Amino acid sequence: MPHSLPSSGRVGGTTFTFWRQPSGWLLSLLLASHLGGWSQARVAPPRPPAPATRPSQAATPAPAGRTTVQYAKGFRLAYVGNYKVISIQNPFEPQAKVMRYLLVPRGAARPAGYPDAQVIETPLRSLVALSSMHVALADFLGSADLVVGVGSFKYVSAPRVRQRIAAGQVYEVGQGKELNNELLVAHHPDLVMTTGSPGEGIDHFQTLRAAGVPVLINSEWVETTPLARAEWVKVLAALLNKEAVVNQKFDAVAREYQRLAALGHQATKKPSVVVGLPFKDVWYVPDTDSYMAQFLRDAGATYHWDRVKAPSGSLALSFEAVAPVALGADYWLQTGSLSTKAALLAQDARYAAFAPVQRGRVFNNNLRTNAQGSNDYWESGAMHPDLILADLLHILHPELLPTWTLRYYRPLR
Amino acid sequence: MSPASPTPSPATPVVVRRPRLTSGLLLLILLVVLAFLFDVALGPVRIPVLTVARHLLGHGAAADTATAFIVHQIRLPKALTALAVGSGLAVSGLQMQTLFRNPLAGPSALGLTAGAGLGVALIMLTSGSAASALAVRQLGLAGSWALVLAATAGAAAVMALVLALAARVRDNVVLLIVGLMVASVTGAIVSLWQYFSAPEQIQEYLLWTFGALGGVTGPHLAVLATVVALGLGLALTSAKPLNALLLGENYARSLGLRVRRSRTLIILSTSLLAGSITAFCGPIGFVGIAVPHLTRALLGTADHRILLPGACLLGAALVLACDCLAQLPGSQITLPINVVTSLLGAPVVLWVVLRRPIRTAA
Repeated sequence: MPHSLPSSGRVGGTTFTFWRQPSGWLLSLLLASHLGGWSQARVAPPRPPAPATRPSQAATPAPAGRTTVQYAKGFRLAYVGNYKVISIQNPFEPQAKVMRYLLVPRGAARPAGYPDAQVIETPLRSLVALSSMHVALADFLGSADLVVGVGSFKYVSAPRVRQRIAAGQVYEVGQGKELNNELLVAHHPDLVMTTGSPGEGIDHFQTLRAAGVPVLINSEWVETTPLARAEWVKVLAALLNKEAVVNQKFDAVAREYQRLAALGHQATKKPSVVVGLPFKDVWYVPDTDSYMAQFLRDAGATYHWDRVKAPSGSLALSFEAVAPVALGADYWLQTGSLSTKAALLAQDARYAAFAPVQRGRVFNNNLRTNAQGSNDYWESGAMHPDLILADLLHILHPELLPTWTLRYYRPLR
Repeated sequence: MSPASPTPSPATPVVVRRPRLTSGLLLLILLVVLAFLFDVALGPVRIPVLTVARHLLGHGAAADTATAFIVHQIRLPKALTALAVGSGLAVSGLQMQTLFRNPLAGPSALGLTAGAGLGVALIMLTSGSAASALAVRQLGLAGSWALVLAATAGAAAVMALVLALAARVRDNVVLLIVGLMVASVTGAIVSLWQYFSAPEQIQEYLLWTFGALGGVTGPHLAVLATVVALGLGLALTSAKPLNALLLGENYARSLGLRVRRSRTLIILSTSLLAGSITAFCGPIGFVGIAVPHLTRALLGTADHRILLPGACLLGAALVLACDCLAQLPGSQITLPINVVTSLLGAPVVLWVVLRRPIRTAA
């Protein structure tokens, strides 16, 4: 699906926030959240203050030409001789198949072993990004010009790639069942990057694999923290031999994020926050393992469902269950595609009773929405959790970052 | 009804045990009142019944804004919506079953629900491509007038088509087939749009098809209630023609019934009921098919002067009860109403079908 990445909703009038899932499985998801969710929702054990902002390994500087994975749990990167091995798995399903990719210098022989692994020749000279976050990965590494194809033109924000689209230098390949295999085989890019569940989705790409076009299935949606999601940029960095660049740039983002998170943790006042926009009876809110919940923890917010776990990453609550919290909340964040208070009240006049609406404390993350309706929050924002956290801190604790100018969020007027 | 229907012979519709009918209707009224109270008293947030009652009577503690909000802004509108939806769908189903003399007909038989779905899909699924429609989406979709108008327009378009055809087609069976075909075509168009839509748009549409009683408040509720009242009024005036139609169109004609005019009125009433309800609450299945059968079984009559108010009450009670169940008392989740009504409704339809004597070729 185009722009599936954020795995959540910049849906027109509503926010269906499947905080971690690729939205392609929406049917099973919706059913799971509706039918299975209520029996499986449970309270997670209390979490230590801020585990996810701490690296999972000691941050030792990587040797030249190498990078190490510090936050992400969904992929591993190993350097073996002259090649690299990327293993992608779903940490929530340890039994599920691990997908392996061998990154081999162009022209070198295929290493022995790894019979199931796909071989990708490095460095990539061209990339087809089926999801807009993959455009952001390339852009972050200064390699936007490698993007020769995208899933849908509509969902691209990066200015450099938009220029190239306007100049006719990028082709559109569609998504899912509509994937234009013929176009891809004809162009034969060095790699097609898509989003999905490791192992499950590769069967959809038999045609491409048979034609010798490598397909890498990212699953950044499994990550539970913003930094872990952003760290998937290291997968592309390894493919581009840009380890030095990613070490410098990602570490800068991580350091800044942690500096800001420390500010948020120290805040004595913890304003309460509701997230998302209901659709009639249903209000999807992020669960404890969502990166949104982590953002709120790090931004020094009180979040009512901070410790509630749901199988799909979001809780499908009834309007009545959320309304009492919304009535007394300090802030309301992420109101779907709505950008004005009038539009909010036009959707449901009852929102007028919510304290954030009365006090003008409703903020949406769609400030950077372009003419095509694509919201850059889900694109470049995925690579800049530091900027998003700064936005949240500025909103929730104006005194901490008084001079900050909002980058992704905007108040609803 | 078809000749093999379990209902008493329509030739003597009125000669029935009056006391049973009266007590049956009284029982139904009691059921509706009970279900309504339960629906308002139960919900994800536990509020003592007495507190709910105090708020309903306007004596709630002023400081308790959350409870007041829940009772007045969430539960009461939802229960009133359930009332309108249940009575409207049941009555439209009853009319369709009699008009088409088919026990499996329902409000969706004319393609009205499909037409409403087409209107909604037009807004939800295609607007991404049309820049002008983007403005519509910016207004906020869920519960908005745009959605309601689109669904009403869709249902009305199908209704106009069916009415136009009804004027030409004499045979009600042919009309039924026409309705089913219209539903099939609109369904295919929606599928086609879904195929080419972004997953988020499909999610949105999918959620709409689950049906929801919540979110119909204020002016929306007023419009829904007015249109449903109008439709029910029209239906009640059709009680006698419906009785005559039970005997077959030719017989009804020989009784002096202006069949075409009656048929138009019945279709109009059904369209108003099913169209407005689908527009506001999404397609809600099985109430329209199941309730008329339940009503006939409970009241033991085929007289529409009794059946119409009976179906109205039983439908309201049933949807209110389904809404209680959908809220899964004690949990924070609301199940889609369509899921609950179908889970309850399908067994009823099965029961009706299976208990009919098996007819060999006569």
